[in-house]
Amino acid sequence: MGRLTRGLQVAALAVVLLGTPFPSGAADAVTAYDERAASTGYFREGASVVPGAYQLYLQTPQSLGAYGGLGPRPKIVEGVSFKADAHAGVTDYRPGYGCLDCHAGSEHNLHSARTEVTCRQCHRGTPIAGIFHYYSAMNPIRRHAYVCAKCHEGATANFAAYVVHEPPALAAETAEGFPALYYATWFMVILAGGVFLFFLPFTVGWGFRELIQRIWAGRSHVRVG
Amino acid sequence: MSASASLVRRFTGIQRLFHLGLILLFMLLSVTGLAWMFIEAPWGAWLAELFGGYANLLLVHRVAGLVMLAGFFLQIVYLLAVFDWRHPLRALASHDALVMQWFDVVDFFRHLRWVLFGGALPRFERWGWWEKFDYWAVWWGLIIVGATGLLIYNPVLSADYVPGWFYNVALWIHRIEAVLAMGHIFTVHFFVEHFRPSTFPFSATMFDGGMPLEHARAEHPRWVERLEREGQLQARLMSRPVWAIRLLHIAFGYVMIALGLFLVVSFIAHVGLLKFTALF
Repeated sequence: MGRLTRGLQVAALAVVLLGTPFPSGAADAVTAYDERAASTGYFREGASVVPGAYQLYLQTPQSLGAYGGLGPRPKIVEGVSFKADAHAGVTDYRPGYGCLDCHAGSEHNLHSARTEVTCRQCHRGTPIAGIFHYYSAMNPIRRHAYVCAKCHEGATANFAAYVVHEPPALAAETAEGFPALYYATWFMVILAGGVFLFFLPFTVGWGFRELIQRIWAGRSHVRVG
Repeated sequence: MSASASLVRRFTGIQRLFHLGLILLFMLLSVTGLAWMFIEAPWGAWLAELFGGYANLLLVHRVAGLVMLAGFFLQIVYLLAVFDWRHPLRALASHDALVMQWFDVVDFFRHLRWVLFGGALPRFERWGWWEKFDYWAVWWGLIIVGATGLLIYNPVLSADYVPGWFYNVALWIHRIEAVLAMGHIFTVHFFVEHFRPSTFPFSATMFDGGMPLEHARAEHPRWVERLEREGQLQARLMSRPVWAIRLLHIAFGYVMIALGLFLVVSFIAHVGLLKFTALF
């Protein structure tokens, strides 16, 4: 009975391994595009994956969950993020499209604005795998080594927790998705705004008051009490 | 020495040296920081070209930041060295100290009332409340930009201690605090110190080391009276620098003011061109 169970386990493992799509980089070993475009099978198709359900496979750095949960939180991870081809099944998608044709605004980040890094240098070649696909270079378990370290020598998983596509810091939804960024930026904006809001009118008023006093008194210096 | 033709010493040589170093480093950091922030805009790229391009710009900004932090450390050492450790409480409560005290709070509200055309101008001591605010604002500013600057100085190394998303937060704190500091210095500080009717066209006090006695009597009457009462006024009187030195001070000051105003105007004119992120 024990041997039978063990045999079934090995057979099941073999089936799973054979059925697992290969990484996008290993194009030669792929038999058919449809197979590559299919889901890994680890996650539900189509529907969004609720937070927590995928934690076992995300393998994000421990520190992401630390600091009182103030760090970035993937609120909803789309099912396509786990596919070997993230664009498979997307309505009206054509391989000839440029990234920004659909992902407008994604270029607003330091990597795009300050360097010549292109989308595909991080998200890799055709088909572009979902960033949580098990073999994707962008998967957090290897992102630091396969993506970040191409430029940032010595990058660690902790380093790769930097949010390249940063949410708008002051937008209301960022309070949920990246609380530390939202609250810290708002604090600084209120601090700076408060200083300017007080000092600019006060300074202008001070100058105006001195001017009036000089005109009234006809003195070179202001009258003091 | 003739009191009427004299300055009342307000700053020692080392204090003026600290201020001069602060000016030079702050301006260098402002120019390189704004060039970095606006590198996609023509004026940012133009500023960067002055330093030999983007890579050199970052290097200069980082090195200048480290030097400024070293200067901040020296300021702390200096304060500890000159502090009267035998009478610490008296030293902290002294009218010569830059520690905010209750009378500063009172002066502030009286000053505000005077600006709003009520009451008389407060009789300030050696340091007005706004001067103490400016001094401590440098402390708070340097702690904030220094800590965040060090964090993002070498992000790979920092990642040994904090997660990468700290850089997203640190970058925004760094930027906003820097903009606050530049905005305050280039508008409020410059106007209060140089463009008020009583200081226009230029107050050289921080460069000469002393303030004209007549001006001191008008703006810091309690200080001058205290010096007279304690018999210290004569010892504090000093001559004006020779005209060539004064001219140099004014020229240097105006170059810095012009540079600061240029940066403020350019920032306001180009802030809509920031492409690396969106705030909302």
